[in-house]
Amino acid sequence: MLKKKLEALGFPTPSDLALSNRKDFASIVLWLEDQKIRQYAIEDRVILRNVDNIEMWEDAYQKYCADLNMPSLGTQNEQLAWIVGHAIRLEFLDDPAQYESINSKQTQPKINNKQSQKKVLMIFDGQINVNDKEFIAGVRTLAGQLNVPHHPNYLVQLEAVARVVHERLSPAARGRQPIVGTPFPFDKGNDVVSDSDAALDLPMRILRLLQIQSLRQLQTHINETIVSVQNLTANPKTDTKLGKVGF
Amino acid sequence: MVVRSYNDELKYLEKINDHCWRIKKGFQPNMNVEGCFYVNSRLEQLMLEELKNSCRPGAVGGFLPGVKQIANVAALPGIVGRSIGLPDIHSGYGFAIGNMAAFDMDNPLSIVSPGGVGFDINCGVRLLRTNLYEKDVQPVKEQLAQSLFDHIPVGVGSKGIIPMNARDLEEALEMGMDWSLREGYVWAEDKEHCEEYGRMLNADPAKVSMRAKKRGLPQLGTLGAGNHYAEIQVVDEIYDKWSASKMGIEEKGQVVVMIHSGSRGFGHQVATDALVQMEKAMKRDKIETNDRQLACARINSVEGQDYLKAMAAAANFAWVNRSSMTFLTRQAFAKMFNTTPDDLDMHVIYDVSHNIAKVENHMVDGKERKLLVHRKGSTRAFPPHHPLIPVDYQLTGQPVLVGGTMGTCSYVLTGTEQGMKETFGSTCHGAGRALSRAKSRRNIDYKEVLEKLEQSGIAIRVASPKLVMEEAPESYKDVTDVVDTCHAAGISKKCIKMRPIAVIKG
Repeated sequence: MLKKKLEALGFPTPSDLALSNRKDFASIVLWLEDQKIRQYAIEDRVILRNVDNIEMWEDAYQKYCADLNMPSLGTQNEQLAWIVGHAIRLEFLDDPAQYESINSKQTQPKINNKQSQKKVLMIFDGQINVNDKEFIAGVRTLAGQLNVPHHPNYLVQLEAVARVVHERLSPAARGRQPIVGTPFPFDKGNDVVSDSDAALDLPMRILRLLQIQSLRQLQTHINETIVSVQNLTANPKTDTKLGKVGF
Repeated sequence: MVVRSYNDELKYLEKINDHCWRIKKGFQPNMNVEGCFYVNSRLEQLMLEELKNSCRPGAVGGFLPGVKQIANVAALPGIVGRSIGLPDIHSGYGFAIGNMAAFDMDNPLSIVSPGGVGFDINCGVRLLRTNLYEKDVQPVKEQLAQSLFDHIPVGVGSKGIIPMNARDLEEALEMGMDWSLREGYVWAEDKEHCEEYGRMLNADPAKVSMRAKKRGLPQLGTLGAGNHYAEIQVVDEIYDKWSASKMGIEEKGQVVVMIHSGSRGFGHQVATDALVQMEKAMKRDKIETNDRQLACARINSVEGQDYLKAMAAAANFAWVNRSSMTFLTRQAFAKMFNTTPDDLDMHVIYDVSHNIAKVENHMVDGKERKLLVHRKGSTRAFPPHHPLIPVDYQLTGQPVLVGGTMGTCSYVLTGTEQGMKETFGSTCHGAGRALSRAKSRRNIDYKEVLEKLEQSGIAIRVASPKLVMEEAPESYKDVTDVVDTCHAAGISKKCIKMRPIAVIKG
């Protein structure tokens, strides 16, 4: 997603986003400021140009973030995502007429915002205005407290928060027995993901595990239903008089 | 039929690699696709010798050799991919036992053949685990064997101890394992760990003859005769520790129970009835086959559909049958150890069918196609993450239960991606006969067989000792050879090996 956004902004080398290197990160930030954001006047950007002296640059970056009014975000990726988002917003505001044809009616279904909004609305039964600023701020704070990663759509973030609470903090989850047994590295199973693309391997395995987890929940639910029906219908009988051993 | 010398016949066979041979078109007339078979060097000799014997002048009667049968199947209308022989292949009625073939459902000419399923419809293997170890069972194995023998009626003409009337049977035929669940004979988890979840939905008891139902009714919950058995086994070797632990097998010495049975006289009657119908259909639709035994009908014809519905009912019968025996086994163990089956952790590891035809989706030439897959003496072996295998085995691949011959070892394998590509997700089912039943009776003495079993410390209870030599290990191919070939060819992966300590037989 981030790559796509950078591409859209015309960033020259979006294919190698080696964000493990702080210097590269600094360069991207600088490029965004130079080309798109222009928060500072040209001469004031000198301190941000210090990408070779990373320690000095960090101080300048702190100030820059504050000047941009960036919320406090955890990881470097989240920060970059926010800055890129900011740049795109500015780019859009430069010439809104140009994007008029791409309106929310077309994009809304794609973002799926409505669906999650509907879900949340259903849960709150219309008693809470989910578009209320206070509500949004509350979701953001809650997410911050629970270390849930930032997402531009606060409703999606709310879903993630709900999941964390359900899995980790609910009374049922707290009373759950810890899982015993020997753990097995999940990348050593019989299943093959992709021979050619190692980068696909880990995310695919994680997705598959999540899928298996939800399938397991479904199957357990089915089993519980069967057992509850069995309580009503079961009446196993045997009659040894009927038995006959052959020859 | 073409008559050729053995050397001429060999020109049509080509060894592709150490474990696979190709049967070229022309080996038998009208082959639509090529054939192939999986063997290692020892099994290869058996295969070729069989062919050689049939080429001798004056060799008539009996079944055709396995290779010829594979090629005849390749000549059936609508077949796709290849006609595949698994390492345990041996001659059978029409199709060889250990032959799998897939037919395109979208081709109106495609056929379904009862010979490709076999007479014992949904014959299969079920494996129950326990939390007992060899040291717990060894001192009481004689009593336990006797107790199992008392609970599970065996032998030709045996009758079950679960009371059933005609209405119960109708329901069981339609519902399969759901019937056993409803009546409380099995656990909810058993259904989860069963191929097709223990129920074929297209079953229609109305398509089954009265005669089949009459034969089937008293036989539910009985093991039957022939190669069917119930064995108390001990884990002898674990090849894939992680997959084994997913199946609840933690260590060597753990005790498991294997039940090998099918649909008894019921399935046999369904198949017999269908063959009669199909001969008529073949004449009407002008279907030509190389072998009269390959009676078949178009999948979409009335006869084809009727057979599939009746076959599904017979499959359901077999699942109820194995479920009933699961119930009885649990009772026997619980009584013996004065506890409950729950406390003995007697869960079903898996239940496989090795005589069945099923509609499945497979990739053929890079496209997804809906196929009718016949597996006769061949076990489904789906790879990890296949949607049709239980969630517990999504990471390991489907467990494949391979029962050995009486008194030898058995194996659990898992399905692989390669098997999915090469054999439509199929692998071997057992040892596979090397000698015919009649030959075994002539050549082997039953007393010797029983003594041998006793000497190796196996408790045995048989209903008809005089038929035991038909099932003697000498009459069969070596199951280890068969399994090793599948493992080496990559069409399934070895996981666990078990050896028996007590055998109950018909």
